[in-house]
Amino acid sequence: MIPQPLRIDIAIENVLSRVGITVRGAVEYTGGVMVMFFRSMRASVRRPFEWRSVVEQIEIIGLQSMPIVVLTAAFTGMVMALQYAHGMARFGAQMYTGKLVALTLTRELGPVLTSLMVGGRVGAGIAAEIGSMAVTEQIDAVRALGADPVKKLVVPRVLAAMFIMPFLSVCTDVIGLFGGMAVSFLEYDIPMGFFAKSAIEITKFSDFFSGVSKTLFFGIIIAVVGCYQGFRTRGGTEGVGRATTEAVVIISVGILIADYILTKLFLSF
Amino acid sequence: MADDVIISYRGVKKAFGGNVIYDGLDLDILRGETITVIGGSGTGKSVMLKMLIGLLRPDAGHVWFDGAEVTALHEDGLIPVRRRIAMLFQGAALFDSLTVAENIEYPLREHMKMNHDERAERVREVLDLVGLPGIEAMKPAELSGGMKKRIGLARAIAVRPEVIMYDEPTTGLDPINTSRINELIVRTREALGVTSIVVTHDMASAFKVSDRIAMLFNRRISAVGTVSEISRSDDEMVRSFIEGRPAYSPSFPPQKAP
Ligand SMILES: Nc1ncnc2c1ncn2[C@@H]1O[C@H](COP(=O)(O)OP(=O)(O)O)[C@@H](O)[C@H]1O
Ligand SMILES: [Mg+2]
Repeated sequence: MIPQPLRIDIAIENVLSRVGITVRGAVEYTGGVMVMFFRSMRASVRRPFEWRSVVEQIEIIGLQSMPIVVLTAAFTGMVMALQYAHGMARFGAQMYTGKLVALTLTRELGPVLTSLMVGGRVGAGIAAEIGSMAVTEQIDAVRALGADPVKKLVVPRVLAAMFIMPFLSVCTDVIGLFGGMAVSFLEYDIPMGFFAKSAIEITKFSDFFSGVSKTLFFGIIIAVVGCYQGFRTRGGTEGVGRATTEAVVIISVGILIADYILTKLFLSF
Repeated sequence: MADDVIISYRGVKKAFGGNVIYDGLDLDILRGETITVIGGSGTGKSVMLKMLIGLLRPDAGHVWFDGAEVTALHEDGLIPVRRRIAMLFQGAALFDSLTVAENIEYPLREHMKMNHDERAERVREVLDLVGLPGIEAMKPAELSGGMKKRIGLARAIAVRPEVIMYDEPTTGLDPINTSRINELIVRTREALGVTSIVVTHDMASAFKVSDRIAMLFNRRISAVGTVSEISRSDDEMVRSFIEGRPAYSPSFPPQKAP
């Protein structure tokens, strides 16, 4: 048999069409998520304002996330202290440990790691809950009984996440710094007062603010993608599992991409 | 259109992707009657009901309710329609996080301006009507399948609708609960004077509760008539439905588009 010549043009075309389908899917998905966000913002100003549901969601999203926030924050601060104190010792610059921990934590790792951890937990929870409602026709029932599912289900979750994520990220900053301070003292004899003073000295309000304000956007991603995944769930319990897994992946990737864009944006001011 | 027609489907087409569900659905429903639509699972019975209150929209064709075109209404305009046409969902679709009373109050809060006492009174009244008094504080998870359906019915009739749609009300129930639900359909009609639309694949129920029976076959309503007309029909398709023979069995899988 004569070997087929490699038709490079066909190969390229195949790859391009696959890329095309993926890109179109991603664009459509992002569009759908944005539409849901804007619809929820519009519904949120319609009366009556559902205080009770918002408070309930703050409790579920916020308070119940505290354990993972505390653990994430403490260990991130501690491990950074180890790495920086160890690495900086090579340049005889160990006294910069506090400053480096503070900057990395407040500007980047605190908000992003917290959002990733909380995003996994909360996003999966939202997608599973709303997804189960979708496959058991409860979302249809909300509409049939005269209410708007976006207002009833999406709005409280989005508002709660927008409110609670910055708060959790402040907690992360504080707890992480304490973790770093403790490890620096115990492992490298860096005095705690010195660590704290240098950390506070170096951190400008803009560092702190850029980190915390990012989490407002991450909170939106977590809640809206979780809801969006829930609403599009089809196919019984199996579908709920699929929607939930996808939610975690999409939220994590979404946070990392949004983090790049937001960081670039904040740095240009 | 005759005066006594309250609902009409005209030339309705609906597909999900390549999955064609309806290709020219026509049906008139008369004020005050109980009509049962018989069709196999996956043939689009739920879709038909959902199109009537705008939960799903047809790709083509029109749906009319009491002189107004439902298919031309936006989400806000559909709210009064949903107030007048209640639906009992297949799995009851009770809200898991709410108690029985809160479930029944839900449409009262959304659709009507009732105060706390009026709502409590109405909850008691409809629970009595479905034969489950005093279970206001229970959660849906504590209820059996038959009880869930009855609470679903209580929630549906709480706003005093003019039309009630029953989506497979007896599917998955034991014989005792089945006949209890059949009785409830008849009794609800007598008590409230409603028009009832029942979709099911349960022939026995259809004969018990209905004035007329419509048969869903080949992506449209292919036969409709009074109970006696249907039971005396010698049409091959109708007979096979009634006798459940395989060639035209209602559980025959839905056709895909070519
Ligand atoms: N929202 C939807 N999106 C996609 N497909 C749907 C949707 N609703 C129903 N279908 C499909 O339409 C067909 C008919 O569904 P349905 O009306 O629920 O059947 P049944 O007669 O059992 O009530 C099924 O194949 C179902 O998968
Ligand atoms: Mg159905």
